[in-house]
Amino acid sequence: MILRIIGWLLGIEAAFLVLPVITCLIYGESDWQAFAVADAATAFAAFAITRWCRPKSHHMGKREGFMLTASVWVVFTIFGLIPFLLCKNPLSISDAFFEAMSGFTTTGASVLPSVEGMSHGVHLWRAMMQWIGGMGIILFTLAVIPMLNHSGGMQMFNAEVTGITHDKIQPRISNTAKTLWSTYFGLTAILILLLWLGPMSFFESVCHAFGAISTGGYTTHDVGLGQWSGSVYVKVVLIVFMFLGGVNFALIYKAVRGDFKALRRNDVFMVYVMVIAVMLVVFVVSIWARGQVRSWQDLSINPLFQIVSTITSTGFTVTNFENWGPLVLALTFVLMFFGACAGSTSGGAKIDRILYLFKNARNELYRCIYPNAILSVKVNDKVVNPDLVSKVIAFLCIYLILIVASGTVISAAGVPIVDAFFSSFSCMSNTGLGAGVTGYGGSYDLLPDFAKWVLSFMMLVGRLEIFTVLVLFLPSFWRR
Amino acid sequence: MNIVIAGCGEVGSHLAKLLASEDQDIILVDDDSERLARLDANYNLMTVLGKPTSFASLKEAGAGSSDLFIAVTPYESNNILACSIAKKLGAQRTVARIDTYEFLDPRNERYVKSMGVDSVIYPEYVAAEEIITALNRNWIRNWFELHNGRIILAGVKIRAGAPIEGMKLRDFASANRNFHVAAIKRNHETIIPRGDDAITPGDIVYFTTTHDHIDDLIVIAGKSAFKIRKVFIMGGSKMAVRLVNLAGDRFKFTIIEENIDVCRQLPAKCPDCEIIHGDGRDSELLQDIGIGDADAFVALTGSSEANILTCLTAKELGVRKTVANVESIQLISQAENLNIGTVVNKKLLASSSIFQLLLDADSSTSKCLALADAEVAELVVKPGSKLTKAPVKDLKLPRDLTLAGLIRGDEGRLITGMTQLLAGDHVLVFCLGGAIHKVEKLFN
Repeated sequence: MILRIIGWLLGIEAAFLVLPVITCLIYGESDWQAFAVADAATAFAAFAITRWCRPKSHHMGKREGFMLTASVWVVFTIFGLIPFLLCKNPLSISDAFFEAMSGFTTTGASVLPSVEGMSHGVHLWRAMMQWIGGMGIILFTLAVIPMLNHSGGMQMFNAEVTGITHDKIQPRISNTAKTLWSTYFGLTAILILLLWLGPMSFFESVCHAFGAISTGGYTTHDVGLGQWSGSVYVKVVLIVFMFLGGVNFALIYKAVRGDFKALRRNDVFMVYVMVIAVMLVVFVVSIWARGQVRSWQDLSINPLFQIVSTITSTGFTVTNFENWGPLVLALTFVLMFFGACAGSTSGGAKIDRILYLFKNARNELYRCIYPNAILSVKVNDKVVNPDLVSKVIAFLCIYLILIVASGTVISAAGVPIVDAFFSSFSCMSNTGLGAGVTGYGGSYDLLPDFAKWVLSFMMLVGRLEIFTVLVLFLPSFWRR
Repeated sequence: MNIVIAGCGEVGSHLAKLLASEDQDIILVDDDSERLARLDANYNLMTVLGKPTSFASLKEAGAGSSDLFIAVTPYESNNILACSIAKKLGAQRTVARIDTYEFLDPRNERYVKSMGVDSVIYPEYVAAEEIITALNRNWIRNWFELHNGRIILAGVKIRAGAPIEGMKLRDFASANRNFHVAAIKRNHETIIPRGDDAITPGDIVYFTTTHDHIDDLIVIAGKSAFKIRKVFIMGGSKMAVRLVNLAGDRFKFTIIEENIDVCRQLPAKCPDCEIIHGDGRDSELLQDIGIGDADAFVALTGSSEANILTCLTAKELGVRKTVANVESIQLISQAENLNIGTVVNKKLLASSSIFQLLLDADSSTSKCLALADAEVAELVVKPGSKLTKAPVKDLKLPRDLTLAGLIRGDEGRLITGMTQLLAGDHVLVFCLGGAIHKVEKLFN
């Protein structure tokens, strides 16, 4: 059964791969062959699996849900890396895997030494990977394949969607998925249009729109957004949409339907806004104190852009970000750790969890003085079940342990310690800020292959929010 | 269809799961967060935490724009209040579960309607009816009749030595023109048989036939009918009280109840019964009060296990017909295999009533019967439906349903491959679980 669903999913990936082929043909680039080969391979695999795998049982329990979701992401990455192997500046297997995984998990960390030499097809594919991965491969499938409209689909939905619990906005899972995807699609379309109206060409606006709304962060230029760092318009538009990419999509849907009160009532959203506001003040003070003010933009748009880009795990940077001082760098760590709201396309630990953690910590302190007090964690005016709180705390612990473990392993491979930890942090939270922040190198291509595989794994774990991947390593998962 | 269900107790959650698998949009409202969380995580439905009788939570659940609002909390007053609120908010149709007869009484119908309750479901009442049918037709397992018995669906357990044992259905059909085998329940699973399938001992076979041939069915199935007079009931539950009152003086009832307080109240509720205080599971007690003379034993306590086991004991002590109330769906097919004569289940009866509403919102003639993993429904063929286009054998019907019989004008007939359906026919459909929405499409 699992194989069969993977087959259907590959069919969808094959359909997506047609677009870069067409793009290459339009721009008259030779890379169309690479994409055509990848597309054919994917389509063939999809066909073969759905044709020849007869499911023994149609049962889809929790176990199958986890298994399927985790393996779909890996399989998608494997087929998604084929174009990178065959294009005119080919990558090694490790590099291609890293690049594809980084795309699908919306990390946006790149190993390409120079992106400008790449064809339009490659650019589009990189952007599309983020776009698909942003909302979720499974979620997309739930929207288009009616066969998954049952409790098995529910299990997969639970395993993929970010956040502590899931929000259903419609009673049936396929309708929920359709609603979320149409919201996502709508936002993307608006963003493309807005960017196109500005200084970008149509192609560049498509790529950047995909990268921003999915909070991925791949760009089409070596200097990142540098080319447009003069344009206030582009930055403002991107800030707004990166911000939206970090909001729970169920909430956006409600707001679009006219229920703006839902935003006010949502604690997580309010905290999200507040964190950004407080950070902005600290950033501005810090920049000013270091005398880095070159124009009014350095005190308003630029720090705001950097904050939103980091907290939503997009990872776009403005040009002189490295010179803003160590405090800003430390706060970047904090922002990466926080992440934005659950149920969004962003990475990180999610503000929801941080909120639970702080409220629970306050309760624990209070209990030191009044041991008999009965206290509860309240979010959005609802009392949260203590089981959920302990799950959140377990999540955060494992999250940190994994970052430390991966940082240690990577430094064992000869990477300087700060870079090792910064890059594992960055990959785990799907931000993809370049390791260059600490001066090791411009991009991830200098890392040894071993480190790239470790980081790819971290990205997957971070995107699927730990449990979905790690349960696969539990011996009792495999025992019947 | 948007369906809001208030109350996720046993009946509510059963309905919700069932309707969700029929591709309906289900929203469940209840104030038990743990129960809701479990249903929410495992089934294709949405839940709203809140009291079923609160305006705010019913609004949040969208009761105002729902096509059907079902209130099935354990308390009838809450159910009626919830329906009333939902109706005010704008629900198309409301259904409340009740547990006193007064709300069903035709004399009070107008008042009940004016409170905003369109229909009521009363599982205990339906169960009592079901038990009386089982006692009257003591050789069958399930009995479902349309239009005063013009078409009858009877489920019969076939034992070794019955005349039709081992017969292939193809041969059966050519030998017995007056019967049609709609389905067979074998080893916990209901199948829709093909010509090659044979009838084996232990099967429960669902025959359709007409009224005139019922006596022949008793013969070919190797059964014998007998008259029941003396009935023992274990457990003085609501269902027992309902049964005694509904049956009138057709049977002579003896109720065995363990709880002395309940016993003291029973004489007022059931005037003509003998009441015994004691544990019905005690076989010495049963013998003392003369179980050997009883014709039937009906176990209606709240515990499925006790009901099943005591029925088996009663059977050993010489009672010919036993009826058990089995609350857990999983235990039903076990109980059926264990030679319990008839099994009643409140949840299934409640879902029968709801399906009836779903299938034919505007006509009250339709009937529906929910079995553990299948449904039987009466439907009217609408003009222009797909079914009228060709004879039955050329219709390419889905494999999980079968057309078992029809009523045209006033006459009941069986359906063969050659039958051509016409608009206005009442058709008896037997379909396996999860297929009823397909049926609906076929008929409209």
